Amino acid sequence: MQKLSFWLQRVSQLLVVLLLVTFGVSLLIRIIPVDLATIVMPVADETQRAAFRASIGLDKGPIGYYLQWLGNFVHGDLGNIYYSGGTETVSGHLIKAMPRSLLLMSYTQIFALGVAIPLGVLSAYRAGRRADRVISNTLFIFSSIPGFAIGLILIIIVGTKFEWLPTLGYATFSEGIWEHFKHMIMPVLSLSLGLIAQYTRLLRADMIASLREDYVTMAMSKGLSDRRILWRHVFRPSSVTLFTSAALSMGGLIGGAIVIESIFATYGVGFEIFAAIGGRQYIMLQSCVAVIALFYVFFNLVVDIGSGFVDPRTRDRRANA
Amino acid sequence: MLKFKELSKPTQLCVLWIGLMLFLAVFGSFLPFEHWTFVYEDDLGVTPFSPGHILGTDNNGYDLLTSAIAGTRMSIFIAITAVGLGGLIGSALGITAAFVRGKVDLVLSTAFNVGLAIPNLVLALALVSVLASNVDMTVVVPIWRRVMVLIISLTIVLIPILGRIARGATLTWSGREFVTAARSMGMRDSQIIKKHIVPNVLPALIAVAFLAIGVVIIAEASLSLLGVGIPDGGSWGGMIARGRNDLEYSPHVLYIPVIFLAITVVSTNQIGEVLRNKLDGREAKV
Repeated sequence: MQKLSFWLQRVSQLLVVLLLVTFGVSLLIRIIPVDLATIVMPVADETQRAAFRASIGLDKGPIGYYLQWLGNFVHGDLGNIYYSGGTETVSGHLIKAMPRSLLLMSYTQIFALGVAIPLGVLSAYRAGRRADRVISNTLFIFSSIPGFAIGLILIIIVGTKFEWLPTLGYATFSEGIWEHFKHMIMPVLSLSLGLIAQYTRLLRADMIASLREDYVTMAMSKGLSDRRILWRHVFRPSSVTLFTSAALSMGGLIGGAIVIESIFATYGVGFEIFAAIGGRQYIMLQSCVAVIALFYVFFNLVVDIGSGFVDPRTRDRRANA
Repeated sequence: MLKFKELSKPTQLCVLWIGLMLFLAVFGSFLPFEHWTFVYEDDLGVTPFSPGHILGTDNNGYDLLTSAIAGTRMSIFIAITAVGLGGLIGSALGITAAFVRGKVDLVLSTAFNVGLAIPNLVLALALVSVLASNVDMTVVVPIWRRVMVLIISLTIVLIPILGRIARGATLTWSGREFVTAARSMGMRDSQIIKKHIVPNVLPALIAVAFLAIGVVIIAEASLSLLGVGIPDGGSWGGMIARGRNDLEYSPHVLYIPVIFLAITVVSTNQIGEVLRNKLDGREAKV
């Protein structure tokens, strides 16, 4: 029973945070030193501009504007993108962009974990030996090179010098699976190298600590094979930390994806934000940031609940904190 | 605290590199070079290690060494200012929250959580693009205003991150016996904070600040690459953004700032890591 009330409390906290975040973002729109109506309608007269302000609630003060925006947001209306020729809905753009970003991020996480887990296990197993030193030092350098730099270097070498892979754009599944992955390889590589370094280090440290536990000595004295001890007895408890940290790195990944998507023109959510800023579509910017915050907060909650289920110890620790 | 000679060889190199960067940032403009915007019309797109241009020039004829030095000044200045301001404000808020507890803590922690609910770069991007916008799109935003906006935005991004760490550290220290003892002897709260909390929390914060400098340098470069940071090669990020235009024929224009940036971030990360390990060792002994 106490558990249920704990989670209720946690969810309500998150709701408060979400409301405050979206309110803060809507305040951002109001502190722009420029009149929004002037940006949207550069040639209109004052009555048209006033009508526009009234239509999106800009005339109602900060709270009135926020409530109107929130009401629309909850109903799936994320505002419009204004062109000189007409308008498009932000939700239409996001529905197209969202799957691309989600795919990009899932590929990145899968690839990063897929590489980091063997590397981490190996370097923990050979801790202090040459293999470990080579892995750790190489990855330490990778962890400090920003993703966009890796992306640009990849473009130079793989894209323009050898012309192995396309440097721009995105292909849907219907254009062919291989075509789709060809466009994804470089963005995924540039986003994941830093993550691989981070995960490997974490897993290595955690596993070295676990290897010192008594149950490992016990398992060894029973004559179990190294492989079985490593994966069954040591990797499993350490993996919880790894997956939690993988989930927590989502925020950095979203930020990194903006830059990577704009470099590779993937047309995901990050690219939409980039385009919104370039085209001064501030309402779109507001809605996009709100969507990202929503996704991020929700994701963290899921991870919280998930890690509580997987490892009851974290649940108790959190409840006591 | 830490002696230079006791550090490992790579760490010594990192410290030396950071020293060099600080030297270039402070005294770079006094070195006997032409101004970095000087155009060498006869040497367009020269590769590195050419006579007269040790790091080469880009296709507009800018010497890359002087550009990199100017970029160092801008990037280091932004990073140190933002981390300094963010650290001061964040740790003041965090220490207050943890020490006073109650409602103040609730408000401040919620504020930190709100700040942390938006990914760093997204928040910085939104702040910069909103604050730096101009009424007339054709009028270029002056550099000093962009720098101010960048620093303010990055500071705002850093406050909740550093504030939460300060809060956590203060919480563990303010529960210690010597704080209770000091209080029972009638020491005022401000005295306790000054004498007992700050000296203990500070080392952890300094270690994190080194890591934060790396993060800020990368964030600044990302923003410049997205076109909302420092334009026209004024910082490492600006140089990368400019090098992007011609990466097929003169990739060295891109490599030079990337190398500067990467070595600097490696160095700050390494120093932060060493400081943190040192602290952990001390904590283990207590």
